[in-house]
Amino acid sequence: MGTIWQDLRYGFRMLWKSPGFTTVALLALALGIGANTAIFSVVNAVLLRPLPYRDPERLTLVWWSAPKLSLDQFPASAPDFVDWKTRSGVFERVAAFKGASFNLTGGNEPERVQSAAVSADLFPMLGVQPRLGRAFADEEEQPGHEKVALVSDGLWQRRFGANPGLVGQQVALNGESYTVVGVLPPNFNFPEGDTKIDLWVPLSFDPKEMSQRGSRSLIVAASLKPGVTREQAGVGMNLLAKRMAEEYPATNADWGIQVQPLTEAITEDQRPALLILFAAVGFVLAVACANVANLHLVRAATRHKEVAVRVALGASRLRLVRQFLTESVLLAGVGGVLGLLLAVWGVDALKAVLPSDVPRLEEIGVDASALGFTLLVSLSVGVLLGLAPALQRTRPDVAEVLKEGSQSVAGGLRRNRVRAALVIAEVALALMLLTGAGLMLRSFWQLREVSLGLDPENVLTMKLTLPAQKYEDASRQTAFSEQLLQRVMTMSGVASAAITTSLPLSDTSMTDFVVEGHLRQEDVEDQIGAYSSISTDYFRALRIPVIRGRAFNEQDTEKSAPVVIISETLARAYFGDEDPVGRRIKTGDGDEEGGEAKAEGKGENKDKNNAGDEEQEQGKGGADEHPWMTIVGVVGDVHRFGLDEKLKPEIYFPYRQQPGTEMALVVRAASNPSGMTAAVRREVRAVDAEQPVYDIETMSQLLSESIATRRLSVVLLAVFAALALVLAAVGIYGVVSYSVAQRTHEIGVRMALGAQGRDVLRLVVGQGMILVCVGLLLGIGASLAVMHTMSSLLFGVSATDPATFACVSVLLAVIALLACYIPARRAAKVDPMVALRYE
Amino acid sequence: MISLRNVEKFYEAGATKNYVLRRINLDVAEGEFISVMGPSGSGKSTLLHVIGMHDTAWGGEYFLDGQPVHKLGKKERAELRNKTIGFVFQSYHLLDHLTVYENLEIPLSYRDTAKRERQSVVADALDRFHIVGKKDLYPTQLSGGQQQLVGVARALIASPKLLLADEPTGNLHSSQGKEIMELFKRLNDEGTTIIQVTHSEQNATYGSRIVKLEDGWIVNN
Repeated sequence: MGTIWQDLRYGFRMLWKSPGFTTVALLALALGIGANTAIFSVVNAVLLRPLPYRDPERLTLVWWSAPKLSLDQFPASAPDFVDWKTRSGVFERVAAFKGASFNLTGGNEPERVQSAAVSADLFPMLGVQPRLGRAFADEEEQPGHEKVALVSDGLWQRRFGANPGLVGQQVALNGESYTVVGVLPPNFNFPEGDTKIDLWVPLSFDPKEMSQRGSRSLIVAASLKPGVTREQAGVGMNLLAKRMAEEYPATNADWGIQVQPLTEAITEDQRPALLILFAAVGFVLAVACANVANLHLVRAATRHKEVAVRVALGASRLRLVRQFLTESVLLAGVGGVLGLLLAVWGVDALKAVLPSDVPRLEEIGVDASALGFTLLVSLSVGVLLGLAPALQRTRPDVAEVLKEGSQSVAGGLRRNRVRAALVIAEVALALMLLTGAGLMLRSFWQLREVSLGLDPENVLTMKLTLPAQKYEDASRQTAFSEQLLQRVMTMSGVASAAITTSLPLSDTSMTDFVVEGHLRQEDVEDQIGAYSSISTDYFRALRIPVIRGRAFNEQDTEKSAPVVIISETLARAYFGDEDPVGRRIKTGDGDEEGGEAKAEGKGENKDKNNAGDEEQEQGKGGADEHPWMTIVGVVGDVHRFGLDEKLKPEIYFPYRQQPGTEMALVVRAASNPSGMTAAVRREVRAVDAEQPVYDIETMSQLLSESIATRRLSVVLLAVFAALALVLAAVGIYGVVSYSVAQRTHEIGVRMALGAQGRDVLRLVVGQGMILVCVGLLLGIGASLAVMHTMSSLLFGVSATDPATFACVSVLLAVIALLACYIPARRAAKVDPMVALRYE
Repeated sequence: MISLRNVEKFYEAGATKNYVLRRINLDVAEGEFISVMGPSGSGKSTLLHVIGMHDTAWGGEYFLDGQPVHKLGKKERAELRNKTIGFVFQSYHLLDHLTVYENLEIPLSYRDTAKRERQSVVADALDRFHIVGKKDLYPTQLSGGQQQLVGVARALIASPKLLLADEPTGNLHSSQGKEIMELFKRLNDEGTTIIQVTHSEQNATYGSRIVKLEDGWIVNN
């Protein structure tokens, strides 16, 4: 123990005595370990840490999938859910849920509350107990039962002042009275998603819903029975799917079932980017280690005499190895502590910039796992760093070294080879990081070049959800929207305003459709499109160009013939160069309609309601649920799902003909609209004092958010690549500098023999650049081999993009050249007199 | 061939100047073999490096082969040195990681000699100094005498008119030293001008003239 303490003390003294080495090494290690700890904290919280539920490894999501229709992970209908629950045999509990939102009134300000309708089984399945009150009882799922709700801890604190007496009280949701039966624990947020859920109500099915097997909107979660694996569950559920296909061929033929671990479902969107970032920081640490290892070797080389003396005094090899390892572990330990401090700061910074859709964001922090990770990394780094010099330097030729006046032998060929290999590795790793960052940067650049299809400048957006009870019929919905638009249009600074039921970059509403006279397309993507109902000024407000025909106008009312406007992509897919204006299209139950279209060929077919699958949407009404609608115009494409998403066909209905309760208001202002929020909110309150607005954002913000994850990945990867580049440059500089110092005498001789400055420059730079070139070649080879793993993160650029590879190679080569040139210049100034003086 | 006029060199130590060379006036004719002698610190090696143009920080006038060295720029000096002077060192200063052949080739490569010509010149030198059998050995595989032999061969490889030798036998035992000095004598007889720095009276007898230095002054010439 005493000797270890002695080693430690000596190690401290050695570090203290070499402030230059210690500072550079600690900085490199702190940055490497800090970046790793910070990203590990995120990866651990998001990907690795078990979900905060009971038996999280048994929790799954259950989806329909229809490979023939290219449909993957599709929700279930109410009757499907009941079948799965009662007939599966592989699940302990099965619960369903779907998103909802309520207008919470009764306080000073009406508030839109993100909610979920969930099966009573959900909370017991997750093992979550409310902090106050109780969860839902089974009977509360029955239609007509007293309405009850659970609230989140956040809503309880914010809206109800953490009133412990809230349980049992009534709250007004969408104008109806609900009894609060419990408050859920802090940080509970299920289902995980873009938005924080603040309210849960029981999910109940009325007879109508139970008859709509083709209406799939429920997400189903299930816990595996003990002993049942996910694969076994998948097999069992697919047997059930086959039986269901035989029983309900109209809706269930060709549908199979996927059982997906809940953890994977929650994290799959973020997984590739996070793993790439984790790999990137791993590379940074590797470069930092190679750097410090190099410095270590150099430093150890200067200690040959000390080691020889120690051996002469009786030190065993083990003791010497331990001495070297103690010093390196000490160094890595201090680097780890500094790295941890950096990580604490880095995690806070990361949390501030991570997009809100990153799941489990609030759980991210430097915790015990992160501490353990740092400790493990630091220890491993310490041992790795110390091992090479410890093994190399602890077998000195004592007699030779201790000979009076012996020259310092600073490194044989083998030791130089180790250092050269380290530099090569640094360059190769830095190149791989730079290539990754370069590809991401080019993708981002390409993405910025994509036109959104609308003008997002000076557009304010906000959402409203009209309570169904209050705005039950279409006429009330239309009346609300028109009154609101009238009022907003009179506000000063407003250029135009419109309503849409599906806001680009925010909402998704998809429908299948049939174009009159066209058979179903082979490519299913071409027969499913986005749709939205819009008010007449929508295209003007968003500056979406009308390419053919006309925009909607005041004559397009609920009483006039149904009309639609289609997007350019849809027009091109179905009409080519023909003018689609005047042709007809219909939306609705795809399989049935498709069958009709196929069977009857050109558009003589009559619409028939699919038995039992009654129209759910209000406003379509009447006997003819899926009427043929005449195309009156073609508008420019909008990248409504994001700049990096493929354009999909899009159909616009006049709001008057197909109104809805969910809507977004878009307001084009003459200038920056962010100051108009309060005024617009006042106009909404003037139309309906209890109507809240939510998700208030400018269109530019929506656009910026849509690329936030990508932007963050680019920035982080670029930072890590820059770090690796600097570390590699320092490494090259260090090795070349050391080589110059080691060869001063030789350079002096060469100059005495006639070498000029340029000869020495060429010699030194050449030898450094040989290592760099080998590193570059290895790096390019390795990048070509691994960059395909980034493909899912790239846009408009291939993973082997030659331009990116060339640019980053040149960048690295130039930096490396500079790193070689500085010491080489010093070498070229060696005074042969000085170098040769001590003969 | 060499004419030094009032050459001086000093180091500043605070307000005082420590002179290493003082008012050196020296003429060396072509074909002479001069031995520079003197106690340690008298300025012998410094004088040699001034003549060899490794040292540039000195005052006075220096003519080499009619060229005013004191007026030449760095580049011109390097050209003149490469054309005119060869150097032999006490510690040989062979490059450890190069073979004998490569050590001989180095000065030629610094004079932009074509590869084919280099090969022929090195082959001649190996032959002339009877070290053909050693051409692929590294310096550490040679005895001190053999290393100095390579050192002399290297100094002469570019056919300099002037050979400067700084204690060329200082690290050799007497028989090896004698061989080197006899080689110098032969070279001098063949026309190479030689200036050697030596402590050995016996070695000095190989030369035609002795220049003695004390405290930076020439005390006999």
